[in-house]
Amino acid sequence: MNIINKTAKISAALLTGNEAIAAGAYKAGVHVATGYPGTPSSEILPYLARFNNTIVNWSINEKTALEIAIGASIGYKRSMFTTKHVGLNVASDPLMTLAITGVRGGIVIVTADDPAMHSSQNEQDNRFYSKFAKVPMFEPSDSNECFEFTYEAFEISERFDTPVIIRTTTRISHSKSIVHIEPAYLPNMNSNLENKKFLPKKKPYIKDIEKFVMAPVYARKRHKIAIERLKKLQEFSNNSGINKIEYNSLDFGAITSGISYQYVKEIAPFASVLKLPFSYPLPDLLVKEFVKRVKSVIIVEELEPFIQNEISSIGINLMGKEFFNRFGELTPDMVKEGLISAGFIKKYDNKSSGKLQGKGGLSKLDSLLEKLPQRLPALCSGCPHTSVFYALKKLRVPVMGDIGCYTLGALPPLNAMDSCISMGLAFGAAQGLSLSNSSPKKIAGIMGDSTFFHSGITSLIDAKYNNACFTAIILDNSTTAMTGGQDHPGTGKNLSPGKVVSNKIDIKRVVEGIGIDEIYIIDPYNYNVVYKTLKKALSSKNLNVIITKRPCILYPVKIDLGKKFKILEGCNGCNLCMQIGCPSILNSDNFLDNNKPIPFIDSSCIGCSICKDICVFNFIEEIKS
Amino acid sequence: MDAQNILVCGIGGQGVVLAGKIISNAAFEKGFDVKTSEVHGMSQRGGSVSTHIKFGDKVFSPLIPGHGADILLSFDIYETLRYAKDFADKKTLIISSNYGKIPLWASTRENDRISLAEISGALKINFDKLLMVNNKETAMSLGNIKVANIILIGLLSKFTDIEEDFWFKVIKDNVPKKTEEINIKAFLAGRNEK
Repeated sequence: MNIINKTAKISAALLTGNEAIAAGAYKAGVHVATGYPGTPSSEILPYLARFNNTIVNWSINEKTALEIAIGASIGYKRSMFTTKHVGLNVASDPLMTLAITGVRGGIVIVTADDPAMHSSQNEQDNRFYSKFAKVPMFEPSDSNECFEFTYEAFEISERFDTPVIIRTTTRISHSKSIVHIEPAYLPNMNSNLENKKFLPKKKPYIKDIEKFVMAPVYARKRHKIAIERLKKLQEFSNNSGINKIEYNSLDFGAITSGISYQYVKEIAPFASVLKLPFSYPLPDLLVKEFVKRVKSVIIVEELEPFIQNEISSIGINLMGKEFFNRFGELTPDMVKEGLISAGFIKKYDNKSSGKLQGKGGLSKLDSLLEKLPQRLPALCSGCPHTSVFYALKKLRVPVMGDIGCYTLGALPPLNAMDSCISMGLAFGAAQGLSLSNSSPKKIAGIMGDSTFFHSGITSLIDAKYNNACFTAIILDNSTTAMTGGQDHPGTGKNLSPGKVVSNKIDIKRVVEGIGIDEIYIIDPYNYNVVYKTLKKALSSKNLNVIITKRPCILYPVKIDLGKKFKILEGCNGCNLCMQIGCPSILNSDNFLDNNKPIPFIDSSCIGCSICKDICVFNFIEEIKS
Repeated sequence: MDAQNILVCGIGGQGVVLAGKIISNAAFEKGFDVKTSEVHGMSQRGGSVSTHIKFGDKVFSPLIPGHGADILLSFDIYETLRYAKDFADKKTLIISSNYGKIPLWASTRENDRISLAEISGALKINFDKLLMVNNKETAMSLGNIKVANIILIGLLSKFTDIEEDFWFKVIKDNVPKKTEEINIKAFLAGRNEK
């Protein structure tokens, strides 16, 4: 932690957007914070858990997480729910009605969107949720705003009796910038900080069915209240000073929000800017004032034309999406291109003298780049998922897949997963695919342990209920690996040890409880057992479950089995060992007579021995020291 | 001071994120406005990764524009090739490990194999300010292959307006106590390289 001046009242810290949101929530005295891990939102809760006085828990999925936050609010406490964009779909059922009940303690919902899909299955623009649910929304443009607006969001939530959405994107959540912050609101491992100032007031519980029982008779009343609330929020949007105009040239102006604001300031420092950190409801009066004073105005926003639609709905048509992509991330270069095409800035290149050119060098660079492998993400050396996908590939069965590290089993060279659409899809889709009768072979559905708890249990119950026939595979590596190793019910741990007792839930007993009798529990490091078990399970006419058990090699601790393997002299270069996609198996610079390169195993090998089991010629052997 | 743009690249798991943390915190300790940007998640798994670092009097965008890196620091020569094309120009200082690896399964097509010599040759033709470093060997001679990247950070530090003491503080804050000494030694080996 970097505190420039420990004695000063305000100091500075270099924080990610996620860390700054946690600090802002702590400053606001948040009592309960929940969520399910999802890139790029995953770091908020672990950072918040480093403070005292806050109960921070991973939930099994986003819906239960938001429901817990709602309950805490009914109990007069401030609560926060964090999720990635697609997770808000899971929580959208409670969200849409919470939007009309309103809150007691403030509720802040953080949705971290992932334009460009760095680690996601879609790039939906969650700003539409704020309009859909009629709840206000912040779009911070750097970490300092993440800190300030999270605090502000709790105040607004209680003042206007509404949940508040904070919508970030990957470039906000995972970028670091300087936050001006009181040292008391930074977690410090060495001291025992207490946020006494914001200790929640104790209020006795009183029921209020007209506010919280959304039976039609009460819901009709509350919906009207929510619509009235929007008007007040729009007034706030116009007058609070959070949305503001930075006047500069009166010839050119941009209306922008979130990370796009930073790109506009960098590319067009001369332009006037209407910055909308509180982008819903739209500050209609500010927009009208801005377009009246500034001659030519363009809207710069990432993904969908959300602000543009809102502005055109008040009868003002401005340039915008016709100059910027509706998909992917914006970059400073794309904003520059767009502003050039729109005639805002002239095409110039102040670095033209330094441009690459001449001597035929550039074409050499290009031709090498063409050959450069794309370096797709891959399962780690020693990943316990590897053997299962290799066996599935050998068995050539349709595999309905799911979301986690193991989605990489779909990529070459394993190529052993046929679908990845939503969290928990695998068992439902496996049931459906089997009903389609389109495959003569039995279907496999595959998901990880954390995903099973997230939403696999329900679809497995559905499968048993409807007498489906497929093989359900649960890859149990005792962590939520893809997002950085978060706990889940299978680990029996959570983020607030000491404050909350966590219980461990045994996957096998859950499966037995559903009434499934054919259950196999196997060690994925034993390839031959993996192959035989899969083959047996996939030829049986029952709904059956295979649970593979081996801890992830990265989380919670890095694992090295202390064994090393080597490829023996005489290897015929058949490349079979390549088929498992292990990052430790490389090409050497030595070639066989037939011009095939001889592979070798480098020092990153952790000794899982799967390659040894797979080499049919027995050319892989453990190095005996 | 105009913002200084540093792009760090390599392969997931190689320490690109840590390097970004050390460089950005050193700039922060010195008192600059600082922004960084990186991507986590899927790309960590052996994919190509990069961190953008910008510092100066005032920084807006956390992303470095095309051909806008002042320094490109690369831990893998294949990634140097990938990122130099988009982020470097004649004025960019490229500091690159002369080592690189491609997993076997990704490079099976015989015609697609690129030799390390070919890459450094092409880089030399195109970029005027190129420092290829045998950081792996220097790290071995220091007794720990894991400090290979700190050597490159030491070399990079010479080309910033950040004094030695800030670097020492940040390295000590960010490496395990027992590896502090060897990391500082590796940093100085890079910093004092001629």
